[in-house]
Amino acid sequence: MDAKTSVMQQIRQQAALANARQLVEKVNDHCFERCVPKPGASLSSGEETCYTHCMEKYMAAWNTTSRQYLGHVQKGAAGQVGLQ
Amino acid sequence: MDQIDPTTAAALQNLSPKDKQELNTFVQGESQKAQIQHTIHELNSMCFKKCVTSRISTGSLDRSEEPCMKNCVDRYMDANMTVIRHLEKMRTLG
Repeated sequence: MDAKTSVMQQIRQQAALANARQLVEKVNDHCFERCVPKPGASLSSGEETCYTHCMEKYMAAWNTTSRQYLGHVQKGAAGQVGLQ
Repeated sequence: MDQIDPTTAAALQNLSPKDKQELNTFVQGESQKAQIQHTIHELNSMCFKKCVTSRISTGSLDRSEEPCMKNCVDRYMDANMTVIRHLEKMRTLG
């Protein structure tokens, strides 16, 4: 594989990894807060069910946010300013 | 960020101008994508906190959460514009 293709591949992989890491971190932040208010000796089945729902809800929300935000960015607005 | 190994670095030096240009464009595009994705993560985190407040019992957004998320993004953009316009005014007024 030539140097150009290999660098491109590395960049794509790292970008995907960084994105996944951010998602995991955010999901866990929110869902831990919501689903495990008082940590016990282990995760209860209720907490696990809550986690499953919470993860799915968070990702559904992510898709909504993404669509809505990209709509703004594509309209050309100063969408990329802020939240650095 | 990982370092590029010396062999790859040397090979990059020897790229044709056309390949260098192509790589440059690619990196700029990826960097812009990464920035947009980062913003989506932050926005979503903020709006989820504001909009998903009742007990979590399903895996999808309910009838009030979905419009709330959309409004949240829209109002954030409005607020962002307000800040920009204000700064612009300060700049021109000196």
